[in-house]
Amino acid sequence: MNTSALVNSSLRFVLLLLVQVFIFNQVAWGWGQGDLLFVFVYPLFVAMLPLRLPRPAVILLGFLLGLSVDFFSETIGLHAGALTLTAYLRPFILRLIQPRDGYNIKANPSIYDMGGGWMFRYLALLLLAHLVMFFLLQTFSIYFLSDIVLKTVFSLPASLVVTFAIVLIFNPKA
Amino acid sequence: MGRLLRILLHSSGFFTFAVLQLLCLYLIVHHNDTQRKIWAETKFVYGSYFTKQVSDRLAFLDVARENEILRRENAALLSRIPGSGYNTSVDTSTVVDSLMQQRFTYLASRVVSKSPYGPYNTLVIDRGSNLGVERGQGVVADGGLLGIVSEVTPRHARVISLLHLDTRVSAGLDNNAFGTLRWDGHDPRRVTLTDMPDYVPVAPNDTIFTTGYSNVYPTGLPIGIVESSEPMPGTGSQHLTVVLLNDPLLAATGYVVRDLFKEELERLNQVK
Repeated sequence: MNTSALVNSSLRFVLLLLVQVFIFNQVAWGWGQGDLLFVFVYPLFVAMLPLRLPRPAVILLGFLLGLSVDFFSETIGLHAGALTLTAYLRPFILRLIQPRDGYNIKANPSIYDMGGGWMFRYLALLLLAHLVMFFLLQTFSIYFLSDIVLKTVFSLPASLVVTFAIVLIFNPKA
Repeated sequence: MGRLLRILLHSSGFFTFAVLQLLCLYLIVHHNDTQRKIWAETKFVYGSYFTKQVSDRLAFLDVARENEILRRENAALLSRIPGSGYNTSVDTSTVVDSLMQQRFTYLASRVVSKSPYGPYNTLVIDRGSNLGVERGQGVVADGGLLGIVSEVTPRHARVISLLHLDTRVSAGLDNNAFGTLRWDGHDPRRVTLTDMPDYVPVAPNDTIFTTGYSNVYPTGLPIGIVESSEPMPGTGSQHLTVVLLNDPLLAATGYVVRDLFKEELERLNQVK
């Protein structure tokens, strides 16, 4: 991890935490008995960690960010659990959408290095994993499967649009 | 150990994930009300089922203790069935006759234990010294002889069966010729009458009676029927093969014969 990546990642950690807690946690939309639409932007931090970072470090950082979000949301463990799983699944997702000639040794998971289409698929898969796990932990029972599916169906496009917009606007190189 | 370490390092991502995920689950259950309730409910629903499954699988580990408990319970139950009671009612036949003084009395008894069939058969009856059973008394059964009392406890007595290699009974014909009855240990239906003088005429189907000379049995109790006679060259005696009237192996009841004159007769025998 070179210096720029380190600085960028640290900045993203703080900024995404603040944005999630103070802006997007206030966004919740639904009808009937509960909210169905949530917007999660902080998985972007895990998504944009350098590819060469060791897996335990990725998982640990994901856990720390999730726990930080939890502290502000009064849902200790929920975001942490979801983001830990997301961080664990990141290598599998990366392998799933691997370009034909593999990853460049210096490549970063960014539009600049990998292109917009790849980035969109990457974020979609990561967010899918994150949202399913989060709603599973939130309802805490398979019994609410329809609830989980509904929430994921509503939240995935919204979160994807927002995160992809953030990536497009800032377009970081590392 | 190095191999294990390599595996750990190789899957360090998974272990980090597993540890942190478990930590998250712990935090979720302990800091969120909804999830705590669901967890408690789940634990209640599946925990008992799981516990039951486990205890079913592991039930055999406890089988020794269970067995001990059941055996105690069995013993307690068995002691309550009628057959386990000791019959305290006394059936003694005594005839009061002004002309004939009673010499022998008969005490009814049940056979409660038998040794496995072999050359030295014994059995146990449920009458003992409490009711006057003594060592050396005879036991008769089913119209024949059963054995001789050898050991006595207050409530029980051990009887050496007629089918015992050490049993000797004085027996004879009705013409007062007598010998010693013994068992050769081969055929439980036949015994041998030895030391019978060879000049005494014996015919098959003659009846063998007790003589009463040994003060064990009354005189004239039928024992069996002569099957064949075999003179023993040079000894002046003949051996009679006797078919028993009863089957001592199958006896379930017996009558202990008590000789009321026994002490008096023994006093006579003490004088040399």
